[in-house]
Amino acid sequence: MRHIPEDELHAYLDQGLSRSQCVEIESHLAGCSSCRATRDGIAALRDRTTALLAKLAPPRRFPPAFETLRGQAARRVTSRRRRLRVAAWAASLVAALGLGWTASTMVGPGRATSVATHTMPPVADAPATSIRTGSAEVKPPAPARAVKRAFRDDSIRAAKLAVLDPAPALQLAPVEEPRPDAGEQFDGMWRTVSWDGAQSEAGQSLPHIDGLPVLRVQVQANDQGKRPLMVVAQQLSSGQVIQTIEGPASDVSELLNRRNATSSDGGLSVTISDAAPAADQAMAMQMGDRMLAITGALPSDSLRAMIRRINAEMRSK
Amino acid sequence: MSDELEKLYQSTYTAVVRFLYRKVWDAERAEDLAQEVFVRALAHRPDKPRAWVFAVAANLARDEARAAVRRKRHLTLLKDDPIAQPTVSPAADDTVEHDEQMASVQEALNTLTPRDREILLLWDAGLSYPEIAAQTGLAVGAVGTTLARARRRLVDAHDRQQKQARDNAAHS
Repeated sequence: MRHIPEDELHAYLDQGLSRSQCVEIESHLAGCSSCRATRDGIAALRDRTTALLAKLAPPRRFPPAFETLRGQAARRVTSRRRRLRVAAWAASLVAALGLGWTASTMVGPGRATSVATHTMPPVADAPATSIRTGSAEVKPPAPARAVKRAFRDDSIRAAKLAVLDPAPALQLAPVEEPRPDAGEQFDGMWRTVSWDGAQSEAGQSLPHIDGLPVLRVQVQANDQGKRPLMVVAQQLSSGQVIQTIEGPASDVSELLNRRNATSSDGGLSVTISDAAPAADQAMAMQMGDRMLAITGALPSDSLRAMIRRINAEMRSK
Repeated sequence: MSDELEKLYQSTYTAVVRFLYRKVWDAERAEDLAQEVFVRALAHRPDKPRAWVFAVAANLARDEARAAVRRKRHLTLLKDDPIAQPTVSPAADDTVEHDEQMASVQEALNTLTPRDREILLLWDAGLSYPEIAAQTGLAVGAVGTTLARARRRLVDAHDRQQKQARDNAAHS
């Protein structure tokens, strides 16, 4: 006759089994004195554990009234809203400035597609084929390779700026309707911070891939005392943007679920002028109660390889 | 929702403080952190508040432990400084006995692996097997196995210490 394993008896006494499992165990116990003795021993062990742990209790004090905590929570939410309003105001100001600046650099209607197109630096290997017709200068469209290279140079410069400047405002200001698939829109209270600022806040390494330019680091406006939820946007040499997310598992999965929702403030988004990538993919890896995720318009194998690499790098630090 | 949280607060606050205390070993700090957990719960309105509360408590305790390691570095520097030495005041016998018992259980608890300890403390805080499994990433079926091992180790470690203490007393 098969006796009941000890761990099952623990689960039985802890009420951690289904009704049918309990019935099975009880019917066995009724006819097996050996298992009954084991059960009694385990029950005594449980009681001793409880008694020992009971010694590890702080002195009992009255808890504060729930209303006090409710007040604290309300104040915290109000202050978050205020911060969000200020951020939205600042973002709209930046967007307005960006629009004005873009308009001033326009040559003709329909030329301006995004900030990035207009911040392209002169490219040495682009053919100098400007044609002067009267007083108006008309440039033929640059070859695709040159555009890509220029864009890449520009994005690296922008990334450096983002690292140095705590508020890389111009790079982040959308000029036109932000494309929903070019740089995701994350809901919630976010702060865009400098690389160094984010590192000091995180207390350890940030989730990222070494060697790729960083476009943006966002930290969710979080309560103190907890490693915050972070999103690091980086650009691949192909121009595609990948976002690495690290934070409490519940927060990250919630974020991934709603990542395609439109941002309520609409002000903080990266607009990339290159061809919009195909549908965005996400891949996540859970480590205890924390989760590491990566999103981008890449094959899932590539994302898997990236997430493994980030995980290995973060663990080795 | 807020009423549900209030009920949870009334029924769980003490368990949360105890859970935190067994991690940070400072009663006041445990209370502060427990209150922080409920303030956050009020702000976040989680779907499964009970499991959420303990998950956040575990996170806060972990961050607290990291901060304690940083503080310890400073204390190590101060160790030889006579000003930093704690002054020992005569305490009542029962307090001393209580403290000794507590230290002994604490030591026994520290012999467990972090995972076994976590699961034992979550169980003692009143979480169900599925809640423990969800929080620790363990399969529900493995919770019983882990608890069986953790209980046995805690009691064995404590018995060993008691025996050693008796032997030492007999020799002296």
